[in-house]
Amino acid sequence: MSTPVPVPAIRATGLTKSFRVGDGSTVTAVDAVDLTVAPGEIVAFLGPNGAGKTTTVDLLLGLTTPTAGTVEVYGEAPGRAVAAGRVSAVMQTGGLLPDFTVLETVQAIAALHGRRDRVDEVVERAGLAPLARRRVEACSGGEQQRLKFALALVPDPDLVVLDEPTTGMDVAARQAFWQTMRDDAATGRTIVFATHYLVEADEFAARTVLMKDGRIVADGPTADVRAAFGGRSISFRPPAHVVHRDGVDPAWLARVGQALAPLGVTDVEVSSASLEAAFLALTSPTADLAGADR
Amino acid sequence: MSTTLPTTAVTGRARTTSRSPLGALAGFAVLDLRRRLRSRAEMFFVVGLPAFMYVVFGLGSEDPVGSGNVAMYVMVSMAAYGAVSATTSVAGSAVLERTLGWGRQLALTPMGAGSFVAVKAVIAMTVAAVPVALIFAIGAATGSRGTASDWLLGGLLVWLGSALFAIYGVAVCSVFRSENAAGIASGLVVVMAFLGNVFTPMSGLMLDIGRFTPLYGYAALARYPLTDGWTASGSHDPLWLPVANVLAWTVIFAALAVWGVRRGQERV
Repeated sequence: MSTPVPVPAIRATGLTKSFRVGDGSTVTAVDAVDLTVAPGEIVAFLGPNGAGKTTTVDLLLGLTTPTAGTVEVYGEAPGRAVAAGRVSAVMQTGGLLPDFTVLETVQAIAALHGRRDRVDEVVERAGLAPLARRRVEACSGGEQQRLKFALALVPDPDLVVLDEPTTGMDVAARQAFWQTMRDDAATGRTIVFATHYLVEADEFAARTVLMKDGRIVADGPTADVRAAFGGRSISFRPPAHVVHRDGVDPAWLARVGQALAPLGVTDVEVSSASLEAAFLALTSPTADLAGADR
Repeated sequence: MSTTLPTTAVTGRARTTSRSPLGALAGFAVLDLRRRLRSRAEMFFVVGLPAFMYVVFGLGSEDPVGSGNVAMYVMVSMAAYGAVSATTSVAGSAVLERTLGWGRQLALTPMGAGSFVAVKAVIAMTVAAVPVALIFAIGAATGSRGTASDWLLGGLLVWLGSALFAIYGVAVCSVFRSENAAGIASGLVVVMAFLGNVFTPMSGLMLDIGRFTPLYGYAALARYPLTDGWTASGSHDPLWLPVANVLAWTVIFAALAVWGVRRGQERV
């Protein structure tokens, strides 16, 4: 590629954040993370609880300062990028005021951004128009999550950081949410999201970053991450007469195993193996990067 | 290695530069103030209680004090307590908002920590004007007497001085950051009101100690036009004493507030 490289949406170098905990020792939540995200990319952050995802999000947003290393958002300090409205976020730990209405909440944030002109659009975009006059305390978890998403869209940011954005949403709301994000990404917005719904990373992100114990343990195109660490699998549909309500007939499965053994197949598993395999292989306490053998 | 990075050409998004920061804060403040004034239970305690206390302690006390009477003295004191209760309570709930995570939402806007404190102080002062206006109106109707400057200056000083306790409320609650912080702040106001010579006239050692407490300077200053510095026990404060008290506590509370608000943005 000979085209000039644009300013990265995110550039982190040796990014480290340690916290002092109660007994005086320190916990390193983010440990020497190097990460570059190009404008327009859609990147999934995957990792178990405590992997450092939320702390990384806080560092990207300038809500906390790194212990070591640097992080820039569109070439600026995160705090400046936030103030300029270039980056915004749906935060897991973000909160809403229960005694504001949905509309008032959006208006309040829009006022601070000097973007009251965006109120109608983001309310519409997040599907909140029917709820506009409802108090926040009367909204379901999924509805509140959509409201936080609307707030993130208020400054019309170049980069949106989403920390577990579909928490509290049912399946239909989740699908609708990701459809909205897809439409948004098509306009060139950079999207970075942390999730533990592996299927969301699988379906939505072109690139996946796996985190464990504050470190990046895998980073690449989602399909490659899945292939490299999740192994390959072949699936086939069993004949209908061996499928019962409580699963596939074990006797039949045993015969499949015997039949395939001479071919070198070591395991027969009934599942839809996917990124999940990679996830578990990489993040289990006894992680063995040599490969997933199940 | 075949990567599948999207190739969408990305140019900077059209962005209208923000309008005046002051206008942005004002728009936010109006929405936030309206939300506060909707809370009927809180308005009852902020406005109703000090008005009731004036009626109990001040009504019909015609004995002369300075250029007015005792009713006037009690009226100014109770208005001061009402205003301070209002500002402390507004500020306390501001910090509860932060513990609910709203503060982190606000941290993703251009509003900085200093502006947050300022907006909340303005809202608190607006709410504080309500008990001051009401108690002064009741006083005027029920025999509080003083010169025009006692009324005007006293009212202004009670109202403007209450800003100090908006900062105090933000400071206490953002430093303690627990669900109980607002209660602690309001409870301390009652203690400070006694120490500060607001509820009952003090003398001797307690008065000497009280002179260093936060409510003393503010209340003494508000009553200065009426009392000219004379306390109920017959001692006299030069004007610089309550002024110095107010200035010192303003600096202390403001420093604590800015520190606490900044600290609140870090996740525990």
